[in-house]
Amino acid sequence: MKFRIYRYNPDQDSTPYLQEFELEVRPGMMLRDALMALKEQQDESISFRHSCGEGVCGSDGINVNGQNCLGCITPVSDFKAPVTIRPLPGRPVVRDLVVDMSQFYQQYRAVKPYLIRKDPLPEQEILQSPAEREQLDGLYECIMCGCCSTACPSFWWNPDKFHGPQALLQAWRFLTDSRDQATEERLDALEGPYKLFRCHTIMNCVEVCPKQLNPTRAIGQIKELMLRHSI
Amino acid sequence: MSRQATGLRAWVLQRISAIYLGIYFIYIIGHFLFDPPTSYQAWSGWLADPFVAVAMLLFFAAVLLHAWVGVRDVVIDYVHPIMVRVTLLTLTGLCLIGSGLWVMRTIYLAGASA
Repeated sequence: MKFRIYRYNPDQDSTPYLQEFELEVRPGMMLRDALMALKEQQDESISFRHSCGEGVCGSDGINVNGQNCLGCITPVSDFKAPVTIRPLPGRPVVRDLVVDMSQFYQQYRAVKPYLIRKDPLPEQEILQSPAEREQLDGLYECIMCGCCSTACPSFWWNPDKFHGPQALLQAWRFLTDSRDQATEERLDALEGPYKLFRCHTIMNCVEVCPKQLNPTRAIGQIKELMLRHSI
Repeated sequence: MSRQATGLRAWVLQRISAIYLGIYFIYIIGHFLFDPPTSYQAWSGWLADPFVAVAMLLFFAAVLLHAWVGVRDVVIDYVHPIMVRVTLLTLTGLCLIGSGLWVMRTIYLAGASA
């Protein structure tokens, strides 16, 4: 099977280019396996991130034939040859498929992704009913691979100001948590045209999420809550 | 927050104006389909009805609001140099206000000549 891999080493190359490889594909082979095989057998200078190999760590987000996905859980057989592998779009390239995710993490940090309590902390756990706990399903599973935010045009144009789908999914994860007590502050922090409202419901995030989460729905719920708190 | 353009208000205005536009489109297309005015007299007589005139004025107000939020969104997304952005938004605002005033004049004159 023919592979085309985005190559760019800022120390040596003036511009990025696509390098072609031919690789014998095994049944059940994942993209990460293919990249590792290419690195082992053909060109050890190919750079990419990966770690757990089972869709848990979120290290190996890549763009394959135009679609963001996790290399370790996406079978090569899902794609037609040639398989073009590029880094996640819109991020500065460090080298080959390795991108600089600093802005993505800054946006995550900006939504204060932790419980904020005003009451004194109890001696034991803060209990939740099963229904309250259920609110967090579809939110807490995010592994921060960055596939969604780097597929979002609004995040491409304003990555410094728009939080992006990943951070907004987490914003909703804490807004809807029965144990959190900073709803007003969180909503105030999201007001303005950028942080939340650059989302135009394009839904690329929903399409690419390897965990089948729905940031667009979470963003809609934040807007709804904001409206309810405003009138 | 006061030095920022609005987020929630613009979004809500866009949704509400969209709903009105949708309903009005059904009404106006239905009207022209089933009961089209046959002459200028019939047309201006129809517009002399205050309900018709107000509904139409509201329609154009909704169009202008909707257009303002939409253009503002596009400019915020794509136009980053601040002077270009201010110029574009100013021109858009002037065009929209001008169009609105002209529409008011047109609807008033059409109704008045009945």
